[in-house]
Amino acid sequence: MRGLWQFTLAELRLNLRNPTALFWSIAFPTLWMSLFGALFSEPMPGFGYEGLNYANFLLPAGISIVILASAFIGMPIALTTYRETGVLKRLRVTPLKISTLALGFTISQFLFIALVIVVLFVVGKIFFDVQVLGSWLALLGMIIFGMVTFLSLGSAIGSVVGSWRADAVITQIIFIPMMFLSDMFMPISIFPEWLQPICHALPLTPLNVILRDIVYGVPIDNLWQLGILGGWLVAGAVVTIVFFRWE
Amino acid sequence: MNSAIVCEHVTKRYSSLTAVNDVSFSVKEGEIFGLVGPNGAGKTTLIEMIEGLRTPDGGSIRALGLDPNKQGGELREKIGVLLQATSIQPDIKVKEALKLFASFYEHTVGDTAELLHTLSLEDKANSRFRKLSGGLKQRTAIALALVNDPVILFLDELTTGLDPQARRNMWDFVDKVRKEGKTVFLTTHYMEEAEKLCDRVAIIDYGKIIALDTPRGLIEQLGAESKVIFKIEDSDMDAAKFESIKSVSRAEKSPDGFTLYTRDENAALQGLVRLADKQGFRLTSIRTESPNLDDVFLTLTGREIRE
Ligand SMILES: Nc1ncnc2c1ncn2[C@@H]1O[C@H](COP(=O)(O)OP(=O)(O)O)[C@@H](O)[C@H]1O
Ligand SMILES: [Mg+2]
Repeated sequence: MRGLWQFTLAELRLNLRNPTALFWSIAFPTLWMSLFGALFSEPMPGFGYEGLNYANFLLPAGISIVILASAFIGMPIALTTYRETGVLKRLRVTPLKISTLALGFTISQFLFIALVIVVLFVVGKIFFDVQVLGSWLALLGMIIFGMVTFLSLGSAIGSVVGSWRADAVITQIIFIPMMFLSDMFMPISIFPEWLQPICHALPLTPLNVILRDIVYGVPIDNLWQLGILGGWLVAGAVVTIVFFRWE
Repeated sequence: MNSAIVCEHVTKRYSSLTAVNDVSFSVKEGEIFGLVGPNGAGKTTLIEMIEGLRTPDGGSIRALGLDPNKQGGELREKIGVLLQATSIQPDIKVKEALKLFASFYEHTVGDTAELLHTLSLEDKANSRFRKLSGGLKQRTAIALALVNDPVILFLDELTTGLDPQARRNMWDFVDKVRKEGKTVFLTTHYMEEAEKLCDRVAIIDYGKIIALDTPRGLIEQLGAESKVIFKIEDSDMDAAKFESIKSVSRAEKSPDGFTLYTRDENAALQGLVRLADKQGFRLTSIRTESPNLDDVFLTLTGREIRE
């Protein structure tokens, strides 16, 4: 594990220096939550959540977007760029182990996401007095589970996508549709029946639903959704291991 | 003296193309060894097989006694590598990169400030990599390759794409490394560079090593003659006249003037001056051309080496 700490630190620092990563990960979810939180006061109908203000309703979705953006946009783009420009190849002729590289990369993304979520919370608290009615511990646990799952999926995308224009492909084909289909902006029940199982199978749906349940203090009866998330975690890890290439 | 690198019958194929074809040679410790050949000759493929980045399809490679594929981890501790197109994280600062790379190794130079000094990078320590000019990027990449005080330094296309000044800086740098006793394995397609820097040169063409010797040895082995080139003011003269000069084997006349071929430039020049004196004609724009590695390549392949 020699070099792990320095590598993690360097990657974290580079993330904070990258305007695209900063925009999608910090500015986009924070602005989105603030804008809609200021425009509307009641949660969107159809979700069945009541009591808290709209910004508070958006908070768990904001957390999901932060995780999704870092894992699906920030990380795959960094990985593909590193591969295309030969950064990975250069690292490969050093004694840095691939496991150290992967771990350092993941931890740096992890810390970055954690930092952004803190920003989101602070903004929410100051301007909208957001609250968490359920258990903070459960919230933290769920955030970590979500991060690990989506980082695993993000590294899978980064491994498979190779030399395409990764950013456009990922944003248009995966990122945007998934945000609409996963119980985030509109309830799944409005979609045609054949589409609903697909919506439920998406990795983002359980994350959205469970985070929101925790924020609203709703007792969690959807443990099977954790299984879906876990399945995606394993799938992402397997794909990464099989398809990862240095060049 | 021990061998730093030994290659035996090394072969690498990319589907139907044999990029490196049954190559055998060894590099001595402390030697500056150059692999020279045109683009696509197989230089990068070969050097990257020795670094353990590509796997040979046949033959065996030992670097510092280690198999680059099976003992890569151990080997990478002891080598420094400049890839043909090195890139590091674009927004990393030079001194951050040095610190990062140093953290990968068990043994390092210790003082990275010294390294910055060696490569005249002190002013750029806080610059981001992507903002550096080509020459500065190359120098940064070399600093990174030296961070573990390597036993063997691999330099793939050290000066390609650099301006003449930056190229001369690189040459000076290789001279410094030579004095430290490191083994250097470099590739280039500039014959002049190989001739100037290398103790020994292997010429590679279509994946095969077609000649290997000291630059002097290659030129002498070739038996190529030096040229004495000049004009005379009254050019209404027959080339055959100059063939009477001692040591001149052949003389040619062209619109540009005359060319004498000789193995002894000195004797040919003296004879020429004496003849001019005696016959009363005036010599202008005299110059001599010694055979160089370009001629060696031309003779061996029938082609000029080109970028
Ligand atoms: N990864 C690869 N896949 C297929 N062909 C390759 C690959 N790398 C190099 N080649 C081919 O092998 C030959 C030698 O290439 P290379 O080793 O890069 O030569 P050089 O470094 O001397 O320019 C070239 O014809 C090149 O196109
Ligand atoms: Mg090359």
